[in-house]
Amino acid sequence: MIIAERKTLKELIGMVDGFNNILILGCRGCVAVCSAGGDKEVSTLASALKLGLSRQGRTIDIDERTLVRQCDPEYIDPLNDDASDYDAVLSMACGVGVNFIADRCPEVNVLPALDTTFYGANLSSGEWKEMCAGCGACVLHLTGGLCPVARCAKSLSNGPCGGSQEGRCEIHPDVACIWQQIYDKLSGLNRSDDMKNIMPMRDWTTAGHGGPRRRIREDLLP
Amino acid sequence: MNRIKGFCCNYTLSVEPDALKSEGLIPENVEIERLPCTGRLEVSELLDSFTQGVSAVFVVGCQLDKCHNLSGSRRASKRVSQAKKILEELEMDPGLVEMFFADRGETEPVVQAARLMSERTAG
Repeated sequence: MIIAERKTLKELIGMVDGFNNILILGCRGCVAVCSAGGDKEVSTLASALKLGLSRQGRTIDIDERTLVRQCDPEYIDPLNDDASDYDAVLSMACGVGVNFIADRCPEVNVLPALDTTFYGANLSSGEWKEMCAGCGACVLHLTGGLCPVARCAKSLSNGPCGGSQEGRCEIHPDVACIWQQIYDKLSGLNRSDDMKNIMPMRDWTTAGHGGPRRRIREDLLP
Repeated sequence: MNRIKGFCCNYTLSVEPDALKSEGLIPENVEIERLPCTGRLEVSELLDSFTQGVSAVFVVGCQLDKCHNLSGSRRASKRVSQAKKILEELEMDPGLVEMFFADRGETEPVVQAARLMSERTAG
């Protein structure tokens, strides 16, 4: 899922400076699952902003709403009917939701309440870890299912590098060397010889270096 | 006088809060709300108390290993911790919201919590 975390209250209070009424808009997609922007987080942020503003002698009207998703038109297009009445919509979706509202709702002043951080897995309650970089050219079949693009600090295609020491990455002792893990995984599958296959130079255009990416499935087009 | 708000579950406070006040056990400025379980409390309710003019908030739940609803007081404790972090972000004293634990039917810890929080804001 997409992982995100709330911006600091100081930043958000500054963001809504001068506004009289805002809508805090949650999303029940990824950001709800990672406890950053679902119903409960909308309610907490509304209370925190009210408290922070009241301490500055300011009050603004804050409404709360949470959409099923903010990345599908059927859920955000209704904002065109009433959200322009607000001085701003503070979206608690990932950056996709904020962008989509900005694209489709010309009169809505949309602001981001979250920093969108990575695609990750939920290791345990309250802990998430990056597992995928969305590079658009998956090589997991070559690496035992472990991603060197997202999980190697250098995104090496042919590792490990000289900074791998006793299975740890040189950037931090808490970070496992993913190339060591790839070797261990392939060895466990009796595929360690796969490490001898040199991956060719990557074409990074699929990773967004060729501009915004787009996918079209003609069979699903209206 | 500073207003203090307390939230207690029915199991940690089995007597009416007003009775404690009329007995002179808790200060007049302390208002206690009884809940079926403190695990029901949300962070927003803790924060809203401050916005409504309360100076300090406390929660009294069951002992962590003896919660009537198993994990209610643990949930409450985590939410109090979250509220503390938000107070810090807002440059407020995180000690203005506090979690306490009490054995079932033991009124004394509730009284002590109320007095402590009242004293904490007195200065």
